[in-house]
Amino acid sequence: MDTRFHRMANRPGVQRPNGAAQGKICQFKLVLLGESAVGKSSLVLRFVKGQFHEYQESTIGAAFLTQTVCLDDTTVKFEIWDTAGQERYHSLAPMYYRGAQAAIVVYDITNQDTFGRAKTWVKELQRQASPSIVIALAGNKADLANKRVVEKEEAQTYAEDNGLLFMETSAKTAVNVNDIFLAIAKKLPKSEQATGGAGTSGQGRRLVESEGSAQKGPGSSCCK
Amino acid sequence: MDEEYDAIVLGTGLKECILSGMLSVSGKKVLHIDRNKYYGGESASITPLEELFTQFGLPAPDESYGRGREWNVDLIPKFLMANGQLVKLLIHTGVTRYLEFKSVEGSYVYKGGKISKVPVDEREALASDLMGMFEKRRFKNFLVYVQDFKEDDPKTWKDIDPQTTTMGQVYEKFGLDRNTQDFTGHALALYRDDDYLKHNALQTIRRIKLYSDSLARYGKSPYLYPMYGLGELPQGFARLSAIYGGTYMLDKPVDEIVMENGKVVGVRSGNETAKCKQVFCDPSYVPDRVKKTGQVIRCICLMDHPVPGTRDALSTQIIIPQKQVNRKSDIYVSLVSYTHQVSAKGWFIAMVSTTVETANPEAEIKPGIDLLGPIKQKFVRISEYMEPTDDGVESQIFISKSYDATTHFETTCLDVLDIFRRGTGEDFDFSKVKHDLGDEEQ
Repeated sequence: MDTRFHRMANRPGVQRPNGAAQGKICQFKLVLLGESAVGKSSLVLRFVKGQFHEYQESTIGAAFLTQTVCLDDTTVKFEIWDTAGQERYHSLAPMYYRGAQAAIVVYDITNQDTFGRAKTWVKELQRQASPSIVIALAGNKADLANKRVVEKEEAQTYAEDNGLLFMETSAKTAVNVNDIFLAIAKKLPKSEQATGGAGTSGQGRRLVESEGSAQKGPGSSCCK
Repeated sequence: MDEEYDAIVLGTGLKECILSGMLSVSGKKVLHIDRNKYYGGESASITPLEELFTQFGLPAPDESYGRGREWNVDLIPKFLMANGQLVKLLIHTGVTRYLEFKSVEGSYVYKGGKISKVPVDEREALASDLMGMFEKRRFKNFLVYVQDFKEDDPKTWKDIDPQTTTMGQVYEKFGLDRNTQDFTGHALALYRDDDYLKHNALQTIRRIKLYSDSLARYGKSPYLYPMYGLGELPQGFARLSAIYGGTYMLDKPVDEIVMENGKVVGVRSGNETAKCKQVFCDPSYVPDRVKKTGQVIRCICLMDHPVPGTRDALSTQIIIPQKQVNRKSDIYVSLVSYTHQVSAKGWFIAMVSTTVETANPEAEIKPGIDLLGPIKQKFVRISEYMEPTDDGVESQIFISKSYDATTHFETTCLDVLDIFRRGTGEDFDFSKVKHDLGDEEQ
């Protein structure tokens, strides 16, 4: 087996939802936070694969998923990390927050507790993550408005007070799913420095099995 | 917690996290518990810096150390061999995608009170100040022999049967003197003592090949080090386990390993009991099933400068072969720094370690400490080296060994693979991961 530093495996050719664009490519690590069963994985699955499963398994079996959003002259590539259930007993590793440039904190509009917990996750992000992290608050399961217990205005006010993006989303009907990622993409700084490696500091290299010669990882080669 | 699991893993040290990941990937239902509220156990990187000072009973660091959160200080110094077992595990399990690495800049060996770069190819051998002119030629011949050696091609053995010839005899055949044997055995083959001289040459040749193959990957040295410290490694494998369904509970006391007829049936925490068929754990969870077989001394040194004589390298390994300082086991010095995001800007973390041989272990590491120059703060710790007395066949409790004094993860991986084999009756099937993880690249 041959192992070398290598550019991280990309997903070639996937250009959703806004089509291809020329110009620079910036890669960002985005983490999902929120209580179990608020629909974190479903939001990602809807955004990345355009799918929805009524009975989504509690883990989706992928390290992280990637999806690209195209703004005017910039391709924004999200590396989306799911909690993999490690939030259940408050056992998320520091690695999870490490180098995250964006976060979506998800709650369920039909469950008041999940909104309270979302506020705790926001505090946790402010404590653990980079000070410049872009945070979006997503009130998910907007399709279940008849069972709503968290008022939109309440969440909106909280988000404004804390400088968060806010949308009510539905992974089931796809309402606002692409939009919330797009809003984050717009808010992220697209300067040369900000585009380092998704994942960690952008200063080291990733190891990938490869036949080719040694290459620098995205962090070292992308925008330096 | 009151559920039934195939396996409960206790402790989130690197070995336990790799095992947890491998078990989850193999389709087992895994519960992974740590009594601490952080990941990593013995193999954690301590952060913030205040926490390290507290652990060693020292008053808080002053402001010259920068922000405490910028520090991630390993308790156990190790590097990854670029072509070694751990890198293979990281790549095959996909865990590598959570991590970034840097090459260690220099690899040095101690001789006669000073340090020299470890020569690894013909060019470096000829330029090295470790050997006289004639010895350089002999060493070059030896290196060429090892490079050309192929296990499955007896023609490349050149009349040396690697199974029956001892390494001592091979050195003799090439006419290598004691000094050259010293750095070859200790700085290239990475043996801790001289027992290998009496063993067959094949093991040593394999080790030298691992060193040079690792070096061939990225140049400066055969070693890699993860950004943010070694504590990232257990976290990465824990995430792998979680992705494959493993359940994680930190900050959970373990009060009892519940046995029935000599076989484990569960783990109790307070008044909750999780049922299981097997337990995998580090020695600290089963004090009655392990024995102490030695001690390792490790001294963490915080410094505001690199190691003198290493061309200002931001990361280094120095090996002090046992004979050079009249010992039975080598002394190791490792250095990492702010460039790895393990310390505040301008700071360096050196670690001097060895297997304890006397009643005064601090005096034993002095030759290593003396190489470092001025040290701002020292933290000395002596750890017991524990080995299981229970092989798990009856009890179904599978216990890892403590982390040894070696500078790399090869023995760590061998222990993990051995435990997995004993626990599951089969070798780990890497193909189970690769296929599934392709998911995210569709």
